[in-house]
Amino acid sequence: MSRFSYNPEAVRNLKIEDTSILDRLVDFESVRRDHLKKDHSRRDKRIGLKEAIAEFVQDGDIFTDTGFAYVRTPHQAYFEMMRQGKKNLQFIGSPNTNQSYMINFGVCGYSHNSYIGAEMRGSDRNYSRQLKAGKVRILSEWSHGAMAQGFKAAQLGSPGVFSKQLLGSDIIRYNPYVKVMQNPMRDDPDPVAFIPALYPDVAVIHVHACDKSGNARIYGPAVNDIAIAAAARKLIITAEEIVPEIDIRYNSKGVVIPFMYVDAVVELPFGAVPGNMPGCYYWSRQWWEKAMRFATQTDDNMKEFMEQWVFGSSDPFDFVEKLGGARWVAKSRRLTKTAEYDNEDEGYDFSYQPYTLKKDTDIYY
Amino acid sequence: MSNEKPMNPLEMLAYVLALQIRDHQVVYVGTGLPMVAAILAKKTHAPNITMVYESGGQNPIEGDMPWSVGDPFTWRKSPVIQEMAYSFAQAYNGYVDIGFLGFAQVDMYGNINTHLIGDDFLRPKTRLTGSGGNNDLSSLTENMVLVGLQTPDKFPAKVDFITSVGHLRGGNSRREAGLLGKGPVAVVTNAGVYDFEPVTKRMRVQSLQPGVSFELAQLCTGFELLKPEGEIPLTPTPPADVLKILRAQVDPQGVFTSIPGL
Repeated sequence: MSRFSYNPEAVRNLKIEDTSILDRLVDFESVRRDHLKKDHSRRDKRIGLKEAIAEFVQDGDIFTDTGFAYVRTPHQAYFEMMRQGKKNLQFIGSPNTNQSYMINFGVCGYSHNSYIGAEMRGSDRNYSRQLKAGKVRILSEWSHGAMAQGFKAAQLGSPGVFSKQLLGSDIIRYNPYVKVMQNPMRDDPDPVAFIPALYPDVAVIHVHACDKSGNARIYGPAVNDIAIAAAARKLIITAEEIVPEIDIRYNSKGVVIPFMYVDAVVELPFGAVPGNMPGCYYWSRQWWEKAMRFATQTDDNMKEFMEQWVFGSSDPFDFVEKLGGARWVAKSRRLTKTAEYDNEDEGYDFSYQPYTLKKDTDIYY
Repeated sequence: MSNEKPMNPLEMLAYVLALQIRDHQVVYVGTGLPMVAAILAKKTHAPNITMVYESGGQNPIEGDMPWSVGDPFTWRKSPVIQEMAYSFAQAYNGYVDIGFLGFAQVDMYGNINTHLIGDDFLRPKTRLTGSGGNNDLSSLTENMVLVGLQTPDKFPAKVDFITSVGHLRGGNSRREAGLLGKGPVAVVTNAGVYDFEPVTKRMRVQSLQPGVSFELAQLCTGFELLKPEGEIPLTPTPPADVLKILRAQVDPQGVFTSIPGL
């Protein structure tokens, strides 16, 4: 039996028989207990990626997609979860793009949905197919902004926030967590949506630099990650580089995740490959186009694609070799720094040969 | 002009959309044609607009066409990059003048579906992206402009799922549901430009593209379109110099404005 009161219409529409599966996401008391039980000492938390994923990501956990779909997203940690055969995670995140390919391998079994796909690179037919085949169950439906408010409420230390989003839409009819109420400050009718604070079990956040205790620095869009870091029961930081604490203190430009949230620190250069890491590497545009246009087409294509890129690699270095090695690193750093206007951009050309089913150049810049 | 390729419908859309923007406005930009339109407006009649993206970037200095709303070009030397929750809050707090959104389906009240095709949410014919920021902008932004291609399937009497509320059931129903802003003020398609009749809030023809009659526009629509009083104006087409800027400077690779075979 559930301890929480859910929107009965949404529970019915989503055909959720046992609502206790929804509880952990909003169970503040247990999160507070877990956070109090953590070792709060400012100690050396460095471990390897394999150990971090094995220890802190458990089957069935509510797992958070971080960054922005393919910007500063810890893809290499996700791939390690696939290689370790994690099972039946609930995926949450805004966006929640990366849940899709996890479903095919049993890693993701449940979905708190906000957005699936890669914008204009083609629709994600894989998610649609897995949903129809019953391989993934939607537990709640969201907009980006409403979910962002749920994470932010957790960081604010508040049971939830009142929102003007979602009202009147069908999303609310498929979200057990959100309730439409009368604004308590007004006498005239003024509907508001109550968005509860959201507490995922575990998140991996990829950062530019971090010290050994977990003070972690992000350059570029933080998206929802500062809030998610505060909310998650368990937090793994993967970092392009580990720096001395003094470096964090004196270069506090950008945003910083405080060490106390962090359970594990993993030194992981290229941890966001094949996505974009601001200041470090541009995304592999053709790789994403192939993922959307080829891999999502059939289950067999997805298997073939992931065999090559994920199960056929053991770490980010293998992956970078397949993308083009040192040449790819140099070109892709040039692209992102030029886009950010940290390199001379005069005459620099962002054109490339897009991947199509008819034309696979095997180049993934 | 004779050697120039004729304008294609996507270029026309980008131009008409750009015309919705006035200089000095703060413009909330979604992926695809909205990005093209905003950048085109900035390079032509509205050089002082401020673009805002949901991934957090805003007010970037001029650069290439972003590959995604999360591209570094969306926050190229931005004075500030907002967290997502704060970015949408700018629309709530009244700092966003106009927003642009795409749709898979739109109905006569400007309600948007980007969730699914079919009548079963759990087993849809096709599952689409879901909301992303679509619902947030529709709920909060003062003026929304919707853009997409027009067919009877995409303009049904009833959308399969209300991702984002436009004018809901017409009349005052949007306001009564608790939402902010005027809701959709224009719908731009390959057939025409539409507004909403002020009392019923039903979709009404504002202008039609060259070669498109009211009857043809109606044939491409699954509900009854309202006709404006008097003669229906022609939608303006891009002058040669604007088309040139669009092709050479805004989307030179034709990522969003090329049609294979054209």
